[in-house]
Amino acid sequence: MKINLLGNGAIAMGAIAAGVGFAAGYPGTPSTEILETLKSNENAKDIHIEWSTNEKAAVEAGAGAAYSGVRTLVTMKQVGLNVASDPVMCLSYIGVKGGMVIVSADDPGPISSQTEQDTRSFGAYAHLTVLDPSSPEEAYEMTKYAFELSEKLSRPVILRPTTKVCHASATVDVTDEVYAVSPDGFVKDPKWVIFPPLSYKRHIENFKIYNNLGECSYNRVITAETDIGIVTGGVTTAIVTDVLTDLGVKVNRLTVGRPYPFPTTEAAAFAAGLTKILVLEELDPFIEEQLERIVKTPICGKYSEHVPAAGELKYENVKNIICNFLGINAPETVSVNSNVTLPTRAPVLCAGCPHRASFYAVKLASKGKKAVYCGDIGCYTLGNAKPLETTDTCLCMGGGITVAQGIKTANPDTDVFSFIGDSTFFASGMTGVANAVYNKHNITICILDNRTTAMTGGQPHPGKGVTITGEETVHIDIAKVLTALNVGFVKECNPFELDSAVKTVTEAAEFPGVSAVVFKAPCIAVSKKPCSYEVFDCIGCKRCINELGCPAISLAEEKAVIDPVMCYGCSICETVCKPGKIRMIGGLSV
Amino acid sequence: MNILICGVGGQGTILASKILAESAVIDGSDVARTGETIGMSQRGGSVVSHVRTEKTSSPYIPKGTADLLIAFEKCEAARCLPFLKPGGKAVVSLSEIKPVAVSIGVMAYDAAAMESYIKTYAESIFIDTERLAAPFMDGKCTNTLLLGAAFGKGYINISENAVKKAMEKLIKPRFLDVNIMAFEAGIAAVRE
Repeated sequence: MKINLLGNGAIAMGAIAAGVGFAAGYPGTPSTEILETLKSNENAKDIHIEWSTNEKAAVEAGAGAAYSGVRTLVTMKQVGLNVASDPVMCLSYIGVKGGMVIVSADDPGPISSQTEQDTRSFGAYAHLTVLDPSSPEEAYEMTKYAFELSEKLSRPVILRPTTKVCHASATVDVTDEVYAVSPDGFVKDPKWVIFPPLSYKRHIENFKIYNNLGECSYNRVITAETDIGIVTGGVTTAIVTDVLTDLGVKVNRLTVGRPYPFPTTEAAAFAAGLTKILVLEELDPFIEEQLERIVKTPICGKYSEHVPAAGELKYENVKNIICNFLGINAPETVSVNSNVTLPTRAPVLCAGCPHRASFYAVKLASKGKKAVYCGDIGCYTLGNAKPLETTDTCLCMGGGITVAQGIKTANPDTDVFSFIGDSTFFASGMTGVANAVYNKHNITICILDNRTTAMTGGQPHPGKGVTITGEETVHIDIAKVLTALNVGFVKECNPFELDSAVKTVTEAAEFPGVSAVVFKAPCIAVSKKPCSYEVFDCIGCKRCINELGCPAISLAEEKAVIDPVMCYGCSICETVCKPGKIRMIGGLSV
Repeated sequence: MNILICGVGGQGTILASKILAESAVIDGSDVARTGETIGMSQRGGSVVSHVRTEKTSSPYIPKGTADLLIAFEKCEAARCLPFLKPGGKAVVSLSEIKPVAVSIGVMAYDAAAMESYIKTYAESIFIDTERLAAPFMDGKCTNTLLLGAAFGKGYINISENAVKKAMEKLIKPRFLDVNIMAFEAGIAAVRE
């Protein structure tokens, strides 16, 4: 059956066809839609699917299922692999029984990530096979193959798509057949316990396995009557194909679909007789370094500065690089150049977003004082933009709470606030709170509890009371968790009740020791719009715009106007409008 | 065909792109590809969807080769114009969504200059989506309305029937009728 699928959907369908029985992950762009496709597929009813609290939990739970012979899928984005790296590194020694595929989606650009790290390099470091699809169709086939290979090697296999495979769609020929797996359950054996002598033995085995893995049909050679060659991996392979077709040029090509273990024999045979090689790949010069190790042919790539070190490789870059390599003039792109200065449009907190009110409350509470705001990963990182400017640092998941502790110690005269979302709190915030309490730090933790994992599209988490499939479950109360961790001051508040929110934050900031304010208001994506607001007889003071930066409010002829469709009726502008010109105008029909 | 759909995160460009790809498949194409912007930009940033209905390896449309631009917002239309081939068509919403940086006075939004730039370069039609889409869930069907306008002008060589079938497949039943009405209103608007 042929269907149009996103790359992430294709990975999910591939896993279903491979007989996956356990699927876990933590949401993260560009990987999120894999588990979301699984949960809504009719053929996935017998599969255990979960959003785990973080990627480490997902890999560990997945390992237990795979030890028991169940085919297991674990999904995450590349920085999630860092969180999971402890169990992943160890699993490469311990191995699995049921096939285990770890999808770690990389994000060249980066488009929605903190880093431009490369999972291929991680795979080589961890000694785990890495498959690198160039299209959604290939992602589907590779997922099925990855399960087979994992079982054959008794080791996890990494599939690493990039954003432009995950979020591209193609027509994929999907089978109805599901591979039959009959897990025999967990069988006790000393091999599941990692001890130094076992690790030593496995290290030797791993070296042998990956040195002798042999050929892989996803490493492909195309020959041409020239003495030059181009080597590619991932989506760049597809772009190079389009560029060469458009240029009407044929060259020798090697596609590396299994970058680790690197196909050294095929690559050496490919390079034999070539006078120069161009390597086109995004992120690390991974293929380039492997080639440098095994061939003497001159290589044009990132080290020779023929290919940019960072960012995506788009069609136009690839065309210019290839023409330069071939020594031909690049055909001019006939395209208009803007003579109009266009304003950039950066992402912003949505109209009605409760984080805006929370940030604003903290800003008012710390007005006139020395204050540092330590942010975290989520929609609320956008609190750094004008006019809120309440995010001074952002490092990694859960890092805000702990970074704040160091800043406060080094800057004792400053009030230090950390901001963390509810999902991030459960993912990696709690240990930071324990550290603060245990080590007697003096910070104020602001939990932005909007009842969802908002940035990735609204996935449930342990504070939500439902699982990925919509099944009811226990709702873990954040304030109770904080109290249990011995945080001395814990109060909940509604950020839209601005005066009381400011008062609560002020009390929290004055509290000696660790204090916490839980701002409770749902994300607009998971709540119903109550009404809209309108400006009547605006006096043009611009206070609402300059204080809040809400995208629904703009200026027309020096007066504030509210877009009634975009407005979500949050009321914060009404509170901020000193002349009292903003008023509610009843609900809309949606 | 190379079709570029652009707008502001949250406007529903991805559904429009999915409908086009799905309807191409219904019409018998097995080579349709799309490339989406999903992620941080969905929070009110610039978003672009690429749709290609002829055989290519990559879903991303090179600059200067799009046959059609469907723009949900004027400034985003101007931003994506370099993707259009000379003589390409553009269906552009008259809607102006000012970035926060414009409202707080850090940047300028010159709507007249954008409009004349688009008109000079592309065979363009401007659609008053705010007025036309208002009856359909208070503007929430702007995406299907703009698709209708592009079809009404004969800019898309996919059958109307396939588009409606694709909508049936992709839109929740309770929102289907209103979207089909918006699509038809889009067709009617350009044939008036």
